[in-house]
Amino acid sequence: MSEDRDELLDRIVGALRPLPEGHAEAKARVLIAVAAERERVRRSPARATQRGRMTRWIAGAAGLAAAAVVAAILLLQPSRSYDASVGAGSSSPAVRVAAVAVADSVARLASRDPAGDAASALQPIQLVFRAPTATTVRVVGDFNSWDGEHAPMTRDPRSGLWSATLSLRPGRHVYAFLVDDTLLVRDPRALAARDADFGRPGSVLLVGRP
Amino acid sequence: MTLSRPLQLVRDTGTEADVSREPRSLLVHAAKAGDVRAFAELVDAYYARCLRFALHMLSDRSDAEEAVQDTFVRLHRALPKYEEREAFEPWLFRILANRCRTAGARERRRAEVVEYGDVPERPSAPGHDNAIAWREEIGLAIAALPTDQREAFLMRHVEDLSYEDMAVATGAGVSALKMRVKRACDALRLRLTEVSGE
Repeated sequence: MSEDRDELLDRIVGALRPLPEGHAEAKARVLIAVAAERERVRRSPARATQRGRMTRWIAGAAGLAAAAVVAAILLLQPSRSYDASVGAGSSSPAVRVAAVAVADSVARLASRDPAGDAASALQPIQLVFRAPTATTVRVVGDFNSWDGEHAPMTRDPRSGLWSATLSLRPGRHVYAFLVDDTLLVRDPRALAARDADFGRPGSVLLVGRP
Repeated sequence: MTLSRPLQLVRDTGTEADVSREPRSLLVHAAKAGDVRAFAELVDAYYARCLRFALHMLSDRSDAEEAVQDTFVRLHRALPKYEEREAFEPWLFRILANRCRTAGARERRRAEVVEYGDVPERPSAPGHDNAIAWREEIGLAIAALPTDQREAFLMRHVEDLSYEDMAVATGAGVSALKMRVKRACDALRLRLTEVSGE
């Protein structure tokens, strides 16, 4: 069976060939969806049970030990905290809260039974981001499957600061700000995540126990 | 394997993938090994082509974007099982074609219960550009093809897959695929000859 391409068929194919444009947002959504899928798999109960309690305990202790170093640095250098990013009069920024809480967690770690991992109360964490010209800003991270629908930020018209208070479980979280539903931006005042997924910018948030 | 170039996730030129990128086989190999940057490069390299195919298959932008997103999520899930001796593109198009068939079937079921009245307006002003009218006619003619013929025609003539690769992508035999493409070409010629003024 021959494939006779005539002029008409060439014109038809020529009209169908141009690649669609304007899909940058959709492409970014693909990467976020895939990252969310990875996160779901990573956190699925089946996989968690496979790892075993001892592995979790070692990993948790190592993570919290690293967090303790971060917390100590932040506590010793209060000028690097979120003070500069919040409105006048605010004095309980997220990183400082997280640093104190993580340091406290590390102190508890030595005397805690690994089986007590289930106790993980949600902690209120305020995030603040300066973006005076943005129309919308949302917080996306591993705690909401990188879906910004659940964490819109509120803009203070005087300062141009966006803020949101999240309820997060104790532990290490990676997050970023989604500006105008298009641009993913790392929190410039928080530690950069070394394991940023899919090249996506990410910042680290450490949440301790109450 | 580590890829050193920074990714461009939200900036897009809308052009064909840069030929200076890492060779695709290396990207696939790295992505299979869990390199998330390599996977992001694969998305960057193939997204536009996948969206083009899905748009022609589904005739709806949001349905097409959803199908492509679902394709890459499933691709990522299936990568560990991917045999690298297989060609990557037919494998990718197999997932994509499956998603488009599923989305198309869902759309047909939805259309069956929609009342008349939602027929999209088509421009008919005297100054309407002929090139736009031609593209619209082609879009209608493509949409009127049976799904298997449309799929085969697009894979062969728009995506430039070989019949052997199409067989991998569709699960159909080469002879059957050639017949589908021929019938699609005949139907398009019949419908569009008059419009094109030939």
